[in-house]
Amino acid sequence: MTHVSLKNLSKIYPGTQMPALDNLSLEIPTGELTALLGPSGCGKTTTMKMIAGLLEPSSGDITFDGKSVLDEKPEDRGAVMVFQNYLLFPYMSVAENIGFGLKMRKTDPNQIKKRVGEMLDMVKLPDLGNRKPSELSGGQQQRVALARALIIQPDVLLLDEPLSNLDAHLRLEMRDLIRSLQQEMKITTIFVTHDQEEAVVLADKIALILDGKMKQYDTPQAFYDAPIDEATARFFGSQNFIHGSAKDGIFESSLGKISIPKNIKTGQGALTFRPENVQIQQDGSKDNTFTASVDNIIYLGTQTRLKLKLSDVEIDAIVNPREAQGLSIGDQINIRLPAEILWKVN
Amino acid sequence: MSTRKNTPLQSLRVLSGIVLITWLVLPPIPLAIWSFAKGWYFPDILPKRWTLNAWEYTFSNTAGVIDSLWITIWISLAATFLSILIGVPAGRALGMYKFKGKEFIELLILAPVIVPGIAVVLGIHSVFLFMGLTNTVTGVILVHLIPTLPYMTLVMSGIFANYDAAFEDQARSLGASPFKTFWYVTLPAIMPGIIVGGLFAFLVSWSQYILTLLIGGGRVITLPLLLFNFATSGRNDITGAIGMIYILPGIVILLLTAKHLSGRSGAVGGFGQI
Amino acid sequence: MSDRKKIALLLLPAMLVIVVLFFGGLTIGLMRSFNYMPIIGLTEPNFQAYISIFSDIEFYHSFLLTFHIAFTSTVISSILAIGAALLLRRSFAGKFIVNFLFQLNLTIPHLVGAIGMLYLFSQSGSFARLAAEWQLIARPSDFPALVFDPYAIGIIMQYVWKEVPFIGVIVLANMQAIGEDYESVARSLGASKWQSFRHVLMPMIFPGVLSASIIVFAFTFGAYEIPALLGANYPAALPVLAYQKYTNVDLAARPEAMAMAVIIAILCAILIWIYVRYCRKRIRGHV
Repeated sequence: MTHVSLKNLSKIYPGTQMPALDNLSLEIPTGELTALLGPSGCGKTTTMKMIAGLLEPSSGDITFDGKSVLDEKPEDRGAVMVFQNYLLFPYMSVAENIGFGLKMRKTDPNQIKKRVGEMLDMVKLPDLGNRKPSELSGGQQQRVALARALIIQPDVLLLDEPLSNLDAHLRLEMRDLIRSLQQEMKITTIFVTHDQEEAVVLADKIALILDGKMKQYDTPQAFYDAPIDEATARFFGSQNFIHGSAKDGIFESSLGKISIPKNIKTGQGALTFRPENVQIQQDGSKDNTFTASVDNIIYLGTQTRLKLKLSDVEIDAIVNPREAQGLSIGDQINIRLPAEILWKVN
Repeated sequence: MSTRKNTPLQSLRVLSGIVLITWLVLPPIPLAIWSFAKGWYFPDILPKRWTLNAWEYTFSNTAGVIDSLWITIWISLAATFLSILIGVPAGRALGMYKFKGKEFIELLILAPVIVPGIAVVLGIHSVFLFMGLTNTVTGVILVHLIPTLPYMTLVMSGIFANYDAAFEDQARSLGASPFKTFWYVTLPAIMPGIIVGGLFAFLVSWSQYILTLLIGGGRVITLPLLLFNFATSGRNDITGAIGMIYILPGIVILLLTAKHLSGRSGAVGGFGQI
Repeated sequence: MSDRKKIALLLLPAMLVIVVLFFGGLTIGLMRSFNYMPIIGLTEPNFQAYISIFSDIEFYHSFLLTFHIAFTSTVISSILAIGAALLLRRSFAGKFIVNFLFQLNLTIPHLVGAIGMLYLFSQSGSFARLAAEWQLIARPSDFPALVFDPYAIGIIMQYVWKEVPFIGVIVLANMQAIGEDYESVARSLGASKWQSFRHVLMPMIFPGVLSASIIVFAFTFGAYEIPALLGANYPAALPVLAYQKYTNVDLAARPEAMAMAVIIAILCAILIWIYVRYCRKRIRGHV
């Protein structure tokens, strides 16, 4: 149970100019599961290693429950890191791997054996204690790596791309396991990922890092409904941007006047909206309704993605396949963007 | 890991690094000094007078150093050439194919790397005696194959393990004859291995002592034999000069290959034999 | 042509050389050590040579000395090599030059190193002169005997000089292949620096260290020219003794020399067995 805070954390590797991480500040409340999200090379793993004590920050501070931990060695920090490629010690059995942390603390061997048994049950690998890591599947290795970290009851658990090396069907299973263990043990957990879906399904809150800087720290839902800027919206898969300026519930753009929610701030920017919120209309007379030409139709099975052109603006819409029936490329249709689905980014 | 507070540890590291490197480069230095010394008596730290006498003597016709140098070069080149000729096909078989008894064959090839020359050369000597190969350069070249060939084979086996034979099939299907396929496809691909392996096979042969001593029977005097004789006869200045000549190829080869050398390549195994 | 034929043909020349020369030499040596050589009329094998050397105290002295040389050199070299690899794997300014100097003696033959040791550590050598300069000794004989000495210190120093880079380069490559992440994991799981070296890095580099050590041990046990140059007259190292017996004017001593060669070969066979049993298995267990 530890409140982790990062204060103006920066890292510049020796011999480089660009900071790998630039002035990151973040408050991670006790017991929460937080994702550090960003493209490869944005400083996520660097941040993780600094929290674990495996790297020293160039500047800034890291505190656990208000106390700086910079002077504490990695083995004394109570923050344990699980690496992306699991890094199970190849010459040790699964049980020896899991018991490693306790052995380092010189725990009584019988006690270790008992605890290892409990952990194996917990990660649902009860009979594999005597195997070698090379005899395990990727998903099983991941569980062992998790058990090896959790056995020492860390205050902070750090997971590096926990789902990225797994097949699609294992991801869900592993996500559920991580969530349930984390909820049960109430460990403050931070994980890094480059995959926004992974962050969304797993995290209580997401910190999005682009170019070494934190863009937004919010709940997963907020990243869809209220992204802070165009780059953030794009990172979360949005293709739809209408540029212009907002004032008093009206957005002026090349498509004309669009009514928007009153609470949207005045000024230049772009309107964005989720493709699945676009509505096809028979009736062209409602508010916020535009004529669009169908550029492309992509059937995705349960959904249909339409590429649409509204004069000079290209947007994506995701609709029910029944609504898309009978449409063909080049057709003119009416679409409506209800005010409540619109959000302005800077 | 915190690096700012451990300056004592840091300086200990630097210090032990300096001691280590100094120790490693130290031994050849007195040989170099001796080769230019005109008398260098206790307790002088450095010679009082300098001269090129030792070098002049070394390069004169009477010393036999030049003859010895040529014969050493010839033996090492021949042993290297034969090792390449025999080791490349063997390396291909071991690197590219899986077959029954492969581990056993590998073991047979590994054995001469570990078993020292003295353990086999006495027996070989009694056989060569009958065949008239003792005291001949041919006999010495043949016996040098014992350390050079396994080494070459192991290097080539590593090269072929990372070689894709599909290129050869592609060349054949494009109309190249087996020979042309070998010449234009296989050879360029394995050339780096042959060069590095060959250079070190050369050095392995270059540094052989006991094999040459016994099979050469005092008639085939290679450079190390000459060096040993001068070293035990107390002619330190000439010993120094021959020693400098003797280490030259190794240093040149190290300079040429320093970039390619890593302990992961099979080439390093050969250093155990030099 | 079938694959089997192809493989056999590719391997044939190499097998011919190794089986005929190497194993032939071993076999002939073995036969002669039993005084068995039908071709020259010796048809009754016997144990005379072995009885003779095993009843001679010189052989035991010689064997123990040789074992001491090989064992001590190998242990010291391995430890220093691991230390050197730990130093060299860090990044620092001038790393390329330091690496080059570290590898420099890999290509310098043992014999040159041995002569260098002679000039450095003999009683009139460079270190003795330095000691005189600092007034630690008055005359050469005051300097401790480090070459031609009964403890083979000079020989061991030479081997350590030569083998530290040899083992070091192999260990360093091992360490670079392993990377530092395993140790990071260990630290993160609560291992101290020492524990992560002892329980994580060491077991992972061990197969490499062991295989290099075996090569070093066998080499130092069987090398002739270094103990011939730097060793004391009595006891002589086993290869030196074997050579002396073989080249003795009394041809009767030859089977004794062969018997010693056989003993060296048996010791190496044991080493090869350890290598195969242990190194290969562990190496295969890895990635």
